[in-house]
Amino acid sequence: MGIAEFIDLLLLGLLIVCALGVAMLRDLVAAVIMFSIYSFILCLLWAIRGAPDVAMTEAAVGAGITAVLFLTTIAVVGRREKK
Amino acid sequence: MRSWLAIVLMVVLGVLMIIAVIQLPQPGSPDAPAQTHVSAYYVEGGKELGGAENLVTAVLLNFRALDTFGEVVVIFSALVAVLAVAAAVAGTGPAGITRTAAETESVEVSPLVAFMVRLLAPFIATFAVFVMLKGHVLPGGGFQGGAVLGAMLILLALFAHRPKPSRFGHPAGLFWLRATGVLAFVLVGLLGLAMTGWMFAMPHDPLAREAMMIALELGIGIGGAAVLIGLFRALADG
Repeated sequence: MGIAEFIDLLLLGLLIVCALGVAMLRDLVAAVIMFSIYSFILCLLWAIRGAPDVAMTEAAVGAGITAVLFLTTIAVVGRREKK
Repeated sequence: MRSWLAIVLMVVLGVLMIIAVIQLPQPGSPDAPAQTHVSAYYVEGGKELGGAENLVTAVLLNFRALDTFGEVVVIFSALVAVLAVAAAVAGTGPAGITRTAAETESVEVSPLVAFMVRLLAPFIATFAVFVMLKGHVLPGGGFQGGAVLGAMLILLALFAHRPKPSRFGHPAGLFWLRATGVLAFVLVGLLGLAMTGWMFAMPHDPLAREAMMIALELGIGIGGAAVLIGLFRALADG
């Protein structure tokens, strides 16, 4: 296994961990931050795969703006998810 | 009962999706329709026919302009929908409780954070405009530049002092700014119709084509940024 495959696998594994974290975290602010991390890892993967245009969109929209919009919504509806 | 229905529905949809994914051609396979049909043509003739060094931009703004026009309309429609919902529930908090002024008051921000945001804002804006203007040569374009510009406006809105009304807050002006993407696309499309006889087509003259592409990128970028800050305002104020 070369270094490139190793990095690919590492990032894909982290992606799955982050996705599970978003689904399982009860604190919604933590879930949003986890979602931002997910977007950054995905952005790296796009860049590695040779899609800089998509990587740029992912970083700006996925990691930046959706997080702010989610946080704004959480400020209205409350931070904890009901059991 | 209801949760069982949801589980059954999810299983059925999941199985259908897995069947569809299994039937997809192997990624990167030379026999896949994506490789054997138009993509080779785009890659070979993209620069001359598409008129953009960046093939992604050539596909977005020239080969598949109609699809991109649809995307711009969808983004604008999303804002219209959010504004309609925000107007319908204005003044009510969660579960219909009317929020009091004390509850909506924002927390004091650290002066360091506010200073950094103000310091970085011009650089972010410059980068956003650069990404829009150079979208036909370098990675990036209207959507990316608009997203970066919108993020900067949201940052500023987060740390601006709330009571002061925004200079760009004039409703009529803002309304038209939000529609810039759609309007620019329609205008450039009509210009193409007049020059070549085809809607959304671009003439072969390189200068005219570059000018049309830059107009499109700027329109999409400014419109996209206005839509994003509009979404934020609808959520934050609504």
